[in-house]
Amino acid sequence: MKFLCIPCDSPMKLQTIAPPEGGSLSVVYSCPECGYEMAMLTNPYETQLVQSLGVRIGPEMGVGGSGSLRAAGASASHAEASAEAGASGSRCPFTAMMPAMEGPRAIDRAPTGVVARPGQGGETIPVRWTAAAEARLANIPEFVRPMARIGIEKFAMENGSLEIDEKVLDAAREFFGM
Amino acid sequence: MPPSDLRGAEGCKLSTSGIVTKVKRYHDIAGDGGSRVLEQVAEQRARITDGLAGVRHLVAVGSGKGGVGKSTLTLHLAGALRARGLRIAILDADFNGPSQARMAGVQGALFVPGSHKVALPRTRSGIGVFSMGSLIPESAALEFESAADGESHTWRATREFALLGEILGSFEWGSLDLLMIDLPPGAERTVQFADFLGPRTSFLLVTIPSAVARGVVARSVAALSKGPNRLHGYVENMSGYYCRDCNAIKPLFVSPEPAGLGIPCLGTVPFDPELARHCDRGIPLAELPGTPVGRALEDVAQQLLDSLESTKEPPR
Repeated sequence: MKFLCIPCDSPMKLQTIAPPEGGSLSVVYSCPECGYEMAMLTNPYETQLVQSLGVRIGPEMGVGGSGSLRAAGASASHAEASAEAGASGSRCPFTAMMPAMEGPRAIDRAPTGVVARPGQGGETIPVRWTAAAEARLANIPEFVRPMARIGIEKFAMENGSLEIDEKVLDAAREFFGM
Repeated sequence: MPPSDLRGAEGCKLSTSGIVTKVKRYHDIAGDGGSRVLEQVAEQRARITDGLAGVRHLVAVGSGKGGVGKSTLTLHLAGALRARGLRIAILDADFNGPSQARMAGVQGALFVPGSHKVALPRTRSGIGVFSMGSLIPESAALEFESAADGESHTWRATREFALLGEILGSFEWGSLDLLMIDLPPGAERTVQFADFLGPRTSFLLVTIPSAVARGVVARSVAALSKGPNRLHGYVENMSGYYCRDCNAIKPLFVSPEPAGLGIPCLGTVPFDPELARHCDRGIPLAELPGTPVGRALEDVAQQLLDSLESTKEPPR
């Protein structure tokens, strides 16, 4: 959708997106000519319809590139959320909304809300990921990420490694004939 | 504050001074003011196109009717074509009732990140398979986070297609001769997939010899025929059952009349309880060689291959 400042006959520009609350987004637009501001307040249906397109409202605020779309969203764990934010440098307007709406359930869920294997996401495995390996993980779809993390860590441990780097990832690909 | 305007005819405003001016319409304004929604949708489409650039043929296996054996047929046709040396992958697009993971033996598949995309789990015979059944246990249902809980009828289909787009754009499909897309039931869903996947995707429909199933499949044919997607034809599955004791095909349905779907029949495939047992255990068709069912599937695979290689549009 677009907003037009009728007195100025000028398209309005998106200025800010307020933290979502109760399923509603507050998106502020302003007229570049007269400075008049207006807020678009969505109801939960409208919010969900936009989210269902797999997009987010607003500009890139960092160096997310193509991965930023996939890196955004509620996380399977707070640790992963931090890693994703670091990798993408941007933040989805729905990110803050989802944990608030879902409460503790969000912890057990895959990032885009696709339910992964319950319980497995909470396992603690003392395996360290290098930044490069973590970056590769951040490039894959959010709903696959928790399963990928668990599987790779299991593979690494079974092969006597407590650190996952790109060599371990490549070894896993080769081992499983990918 | 803007002056108070009285709206006149559509697209016009009547100012307090009485001057009628035309209000800009949506397409009069370049850009979207910064929401980037359309831009992101276009980026998604470009990512899908790029991800499938190395795929020679896209074939969606649908029906409209549920329970006719779409998934089983998809897997076994893929197996038969793989045995001929083709590079094959299967995308199980039935997110809510995924069965390929179990049947193809990739339920516990490992998802390994590549440099930019995810490697595709593979069967022992080298068929790439994506199935939501590799991610979600059979005891759980697919759920999405939602800002509109309890109102999924308003957004769920859109969300599932966004997920399909993410899968198509995020997995390493690589260089393939054929990507088979195992569709969910629903005649309307079949058409939605045609719209989403675009005209380069062709369709193979599956029916069984019952008037009820044929009626539903006929609706799918009618709906698909209005679009640009090529229809290879249909396969009549469960055309009888294979009795191992008698070594004969016996009738399963009493339906003497022909399917009358108006598209080519690529073959008939009898039901084999032993094959069904193999599917449940993730054992490939190759381990049941020389059976009537195996031979029927080989014939259908050849028919499909011939149709794929032919540039002639099948009669409708």
